[in-house]
Amino acid sequence: MMKLALDESLLLKVDKPAKYTGNEWNMVRKNPDEVAIRFAFAFPDDYEIGMSHLGMKILYHTMNKRQDTYCERVFAPWTDMEQLMREKKIPLYALETYTPLSEFDLVGFTLQYEMSYTNILNMLDLGGIPVLAKDRTEGMPFVLAGGPCAVNPEPLADFIDFFVIGEGEEVIHELLDAYKAWKASGESRDAFLLKASGVSGVYVPSLYDVFYYEDGTIMDIIPKNAQVPDVIKRRIVTQLDEVDFPEDIIVPYIGTVHDRIMLELFRGCIRGCRFCQAGFIYRPVRERSPEKLLELAKNSVKKTGYEEISLVSLSTSDYTGLPDLCNNLMTFTEEEKVNLSLPSLRVDNFSLGLMEKASKVRKSGLTFAPEAGTQRLRDVINKGVTDEDLKSSVQLAVAGGWTSIKLYFMIGLPTETMEDVEGIGDMGINLIESCRGLENKEGKSLRLTLSTSCFVPKPFTPFQWEPMDTIETLMEKQYHLKDRIRKRTRRIDYNYHDAKTSFIEAVLARGDRRLGAVILAAWKAGAKFDGWDEHFSFATWQQAFTDCGLDPAFYANRRREYSEVLPWDHIDMGVNKKFLVTESLKAREGDLTRNCASGCSNCGAQVYKAGICVRKKNIDEKDR
Amino acid sequence: MPKALRFRFSRGPELKYIAHLDMLRLFERAIKRAGLPVAYTQGFNPRQKLVFGLPIAVGLTSSSEYADIEFDQDISTDDYIQGLNAHLPEGVRVMEATAFSGKDNIMNQVASAKYELSFTTEDELSHFALENMVRDFLAKEEIMVMKKSKKGLKPVNIRPLIYSLTVRKAEKKSCILDAFLSAGAENNLRPDLLMEAFQKETGMTIRVDAMHRTALFASLMNEWKNPLEVANG
Repeated sequence: MMKLALDESLLLKVDKPAKYTGNEWNMVRKNPDEVAIRFAFAFPDDYEIGMSHLGMKILYHTMNKRQDTYCERVFAPWTDMEQLMREKKIPLYALETYTPLSEFDLVGFTLQYEMSYTNILNMLDLGGIPVLAKDRTEGMPFVLAGGPCAVNPEPLADFIDFFVIGEGEEVIHELLDAYKAWKASGESRDAFLLKASGVSGVYVPSLYDVFYYEDGTIMDIIPKNAQVPDVIKRRIVTQLDEVDFPEDIIVPYIGTVHDRIMLELFRGCIRGCRFCQAGFIYRPVRERSPEKLLELAKNSVKKTGYEEISLVSLSTSDYTGLPDLCNNLMTFTEEEKVNLSLPSLRVDNFSLGLMEKASKVRKSGLTFAPEAGTQRLRDVINKGVTDEDLKSSVQLAVAGGWTSIKLYFMIGLPTETMEDVEGIGDMGINLIESCRGLENKEGKSLRLTLSTSCFVPKPFTPFQWEPMDTIETLMEKQYHLKDRIRKRTRRIDYNYHDAKTSFIEAVLARGDRRLGAVILAAWKAGAKFDGWDEHFSFATWQQAFTDCGLDPAFYANRRREYSEVLPWDHIDMGVNKKFLVTESLKAREGDLTRNCASGCSNCGAQVYKAGICVRKKNIDEKDR
Repeated sequence: MPKALRFRFSRGPELKYIAHLDMLRLFERAIKRAGLPVAYTQGFNPRQKLVFGLPIAVGLTSSSEYADIEFDQDISTDDYIQGLNAHLPEGVRVMEATAFSGKDNIMNQVASAKYELSFTTEDELSHFALENMVRDFLAKEEIMVMKKSKKGLKPVNIRPLIYSLTVRKAEKKSCILDAFLSAGAENNLRPDLLMEAFQKETGMTIRVDAMHRTALFASLMNEWKNPLEVANG
């Protein structure tokens, strides 16, 4: 085994050198010579982002509980460090043992954001692993990937040996067992890939052929041999209370984005907002019990010394036992001097009292996400929030002493007109008006921030067939809104996301495997950290598309037919296409769909026989 | 048994890449893990009553860092040292502790510091030659460097802040200087700044290999005192 000796003069030249030295509290220490499998969990972004990721903490803990496996961590070095590493020929290494990436058995990337794809290539290259899967030979690591973006794995098909679709806690054990058996057998690399394809939830892209029509759309996606499944079924954990959740999480030395204990209340979301990929790909809702959560919270504080706990889930206020849980948690956190933070509460069941009690910290920012500026458009996206809901929430908050409120919207939603865009600004102005006289005595008046992101249609949502607005249209809408707000008030800050970044994100999100050539070309031309404004170069990507003879608008701005074969049609997420088509048609009519707690809409996730699907059924049967 | 302690701790090379505030947080979390009955400040955002003597910059190791801590109940120095050390990561260790009166905190008391500065020169240098350079350097009335302040860079004369500078070793290209410098909230001289000035004034090209803080002193009646000795003052 090779252990790198890190050069001091190198580390003192880079920003935040502690990102590259490991040794944090609760880091797992094992003797690499005493394990059968060495796994590098790779996060294709900066340490400060990656160390905030709950999924990594879960899988690190899960894998390291196995005696036969040592899971270590790898992050994308920031550009200052990368430059020095390349100059001094230091390969990318894992933080636990400073072992180069190329010496691992398995290198697993988590795909949280399309704009981190070029970082994957860069990390492989820095780690001494060929970026193209076809160039990897016997004895080299297998490169796998999972996470939300893996629901459409196709754009990365050239680089990744196999994908894991869905939640990893259970399938990872099956994979590691299969790997160990294969390693002992001495069989070929191809033999392992074939074996892996037999593990439910695992997708080996090289074992499939994709055929195209002349117009560039897909004719069919077909397995190369009969042993390989036609459809890859997403894996989920059915009982959250029974699956391991880490209490002894690594405590970084330097501040990270989410530097606190994250308590995952539940997975999935009952809401079904039609733009939201997370709302569909994590179904059905499965909750942890309040007793389990309280136990996890107490043990985590003891084992980490963290001063803050945040409740994380897609829509925290939908947790069925929230008041009880919060009361019990707060008794404990007050005693222990721990902060409890409650993110992303929904406007419609927003509980100010809860916020008041929970956040002992300054009453600084509150955030709401109405997503669209008019009722019509909110109905289109199935966001069941009214102007009245929002007004009363904001009034309550302002009267309660909050003076800075942020509202999140999207621009470019399907069916959007300029009137809807103007509605965003009007909503802000009306809110400011309606809060006059309610502001606190200290004379601090309400400061409103409106933020708009660009709507990006995502796979497995009812909007997966929708064309994205062109960059020009998005920018026109942004400028129009900016202008309109500025003319009418100074008390609103308006900011918006870069449309060009969102455009590339949209191409990659719904792309097919031909995009591999574009990603490779962009990376070769220097693209990395594309999600960071200071590094993103639109021109580099444009050139890559031109060089590869592909039109990005084909992927981003084209309306797809319901009958078209989509690049991800061989992936089965539980939620079925029939349901998504129905939702897409209802969206055009502005028809709302009830949420899972109110009643089942037959989305397809019932096949998992888990969580709310089962719970609701039991209640319904009892009623009968 | 005391309700407040002053303690000395060390920081090894394992943790030299961490900035001052990260170091403080590292202690706060270790104290929490250890379950020590630390006292908290009042208010919306309670903080542990823990004060460090002097910020410890990135790249610096030390055998003599001092801090004050207050508790809600009495605690013995042994319980404190053992309890906390069990929860501190490799690289930081509490070495000794003593009762603290709670009057004048360590941050206000620290007035000077000793450093061991190791560096490599481009050309070979004799002990005698380096001593001459140091003597010439100290003979200057003014040594101006640009110091970072809240308002940006401003020129500062650091000569009065250097109490002594002596050669410990000069063998081939590898040298060690012992420096005794003004420290504390008001007139702090960071050793990296001293080395920068030394490089500039002597015209040598050097590579700093290690900077190690060996002692911190409080000033009492014109005398340098070990901070633990004046914890009850």
